[in-house]
Amino acid sequence: MNILVKIIGPLIYTVGFSEKQMDVPAGMTADELASLLGIPKERSRIMTRNGAAVAPDARLAEGDKVAVSPIYSGG
Amino acid sequence: MHGWTGYFLRVDLTAKTWQKESFTEEFAHKWVGGRGFAVKILYDEVKPGIDPLGPENKFVVALGPISGIPSPNTGKAVVAAISPLTGFYGDGNLGTRVAEQLRKAGYDALIVEGRAERPTLLSIEDDKVEFLPADEVWGQGTYACNDWIYAKYGKGVGVLNIGQGGESMARYAVVRSLEGRAGGRPGIGAVMGSKRLKAVVVKGTKPIPQADPEAMKILGSGDLRKVGQIDKQSGWSIQSTTGVLPFCNEVAGLPVRNFRKTHHPDAWKVDGERCNNARVATYGCPTCTMRCGITIHDDEGRESELDYENVALLGPNLEIFGLPQVGALNYLCDDYGLDTMSAGCTLSFYADAIDHGAASGDFRFGDAKRAKELLGLAARREGPIGNLLADGSLRMARAFGHGSEAYAMQVKGLEVAAYNCKFIPGQALSFGVAPIGAHHREAWIITFEIKHSTRESYGPEKAAKVIELQRIRGGLFEFIVACRFPWIENGWPLENYPKYFNTVTGLNWGLDDMWRVADRIYAMIKLHYLRQFPDADRRGDYPPAIWFDPTNADTEGPITGKVLEMDKYDGMLQHYYDQRGYDRRGIPTKATLLSLGLAEEAAAAEKFAALT
Repeated sequence: MNILVKIIGPLIYTVGFSEKQMDVPAGMTADELASLLGIPKERSRIMTRNGAAVAPDARLAEGDKVAVSPIYSGG
Repeated sequence: MHGWTGYFLRVDLTAKTWQKESFTEEFAHKWVGGRGFAVKILYDEVKPGIDPLGPENKFVVALGPISGIPSPNTGKAVVAAISPLTGFYGDGNLGTRVAEQLRKAGYDALIVEGRAERPTLLSIEDDKVEFLPADEVWGQGTYACNDWIYAKYGKGVGVLNIGQGGESMARYAVVRSLEGRAGGRPGIGAVMGSKRLKAVVVKGTKPIPQADPEAMKILGSGDLRKVGQIDKQSGWSIQSTTGVLPFCNEVAGLPVRNFRKTHHPDAWKVDGERCNNARVATYGCPTCTMRCGITIHDDEGRESELDYENVALLGPNLEIFGLPQVGALNYLCDDYGLDTMSAGCTLSFYADAIDHGAASGDFRFGDAKRAKELLGLAARREGPIGNLLADGSLRMARAFGHGSEAYAMQVKGLEVAAYNCKFIPGQALSFGVAPIGAHHREAWIITFEIKHSTRESYGPEKAAKVIELQRIRGGLFEFIVACRFPWIENGWPLENYPKYFNTVTGLNWGLDDMWRVADRIYAMIKLHYLRQFPDADRRGDYPPAIWFDPTNADTEGPITGKVLEMDKYDGMLQHYYDQRGYDRRGIPTKATLLSLGLAEEAAAAEKFAALT
């Protein structure tokens, strides 16, 4: 399935891109996507799907926009 | 008494006199420093109802017991006064060498009274205080003023100064220091200007009294190194706060077009990645190992130091998406000594008011050239529109009428920081109950709300989270006077701060002791508010009306059709009051005040308004 992946903040330099259309296996979970992107499990992060938080075990769907961001706490 | 010098320096600009005043150990333990000292001094010494821009107001610079001692990250000072923007207590903090130099000169706070006859440079060198002419830099910006002082004294001195905005008493003029530091959003720079105080320069040579200086040297310096190492691993300072912009855009929390929109397809043009790519220099505060000041060249080739709030409010909020143009607006605010956030919100309000027929004028969203000109007019209070802009969005709205106050983005007169709370109830509460007006420093719970999928909730857990963060952010970090970033952005444990405090003071405090001081300070700011506005009620804690207006709901994106609901917000506000021990007006009850050791202060407040 095709999803749009947006990486935010310093995670860009871990993952290697800031935005990319990706073809991933159908039924992939948010956590599996994070692993595929090479983001270490211990790295705290927040993932959103189409602007709302997505649970680590939630299955992604065709056309989703998934963003991965560090846990920001304010400017 | 260890940790504190035990002295304030009191300066009278009218009489050109000064004195060194001691304070007691009991006072130090009750108020600790920074915001605690400032809120108490101004409560005791400035009568309610005075003109904040008159000589009766006082300008306070206050430090804490670890200020100036190498440890994470203590190169900051609190500046405070009765605010010309909000009418009651206002403050802010900024990175400055004054933190170290004033403490080494032997003082924990500076209190400036009266009004000088001529523009003045106040020079403090240990026990020597001089009132020097500053005519040659009066009318000049903060960068030129800073250079002038460095040429005279060298770069190691502590400097606080103002630009044209402070001189003309623009109500959101800030105090500036170093190359890009600013503090005192509620017009503390205007108070300096009203006193004809162009700048303060400080040099100290004495040791800062500490219970165990050797232990602190090892602990503080070692921890500074560790914070730097953690930052290298996390990479936070690669984009610093500008990384927040794409996050806010993603979750529909970005201010766009005077907060009418929550996201924009062009926001990426000014995001953290673009800021980092354009970086030409990096600046930071003293005693910092995670420097956050990303500096770019603006559209005229000048260095402009950015952070998230500046970029969001002078960029997308004005529908300006050229980074060099945003950099130029930011540079001008810094040079004029205007608060970037209030300037951004006031300009966006003006464009919105023209759009909606409440005002006439030639300013439109997206017009960077005119925005630059308007900042100059505001800084100099030039012409009718410059004069109006210099007064901030609330006063402008009251002048324009036509219901425009609904979209003046402020609370208690202070413009909101760069988080669009159209459908972020807890952050809206954070702004509503921020004691000095809508400052983001006090509490920031967007990530909490998004991560835990509680965006829809107006429950007591939101109020509890706001209080938890207020105690840390607006409390602990403001009264010990240290930067919150090592903790909030890189996970540096909070428990370390009582360790630093105890090592320099010889006391044995824990975090619970800190929270009690924080609660005391918050209650005191509410007493300032009540004393100034005896008819105050809970409506003062409501955020801008436009966030509740269904006709303002997004028509596409993650929060389509959604806005805040007033009855639910009001319920959440009541949770906050109940948990704080405040009455239905949002004022601490007598029982709460007594439990915080504020009997004397409560009695003083009762001369002006009833307590419950």
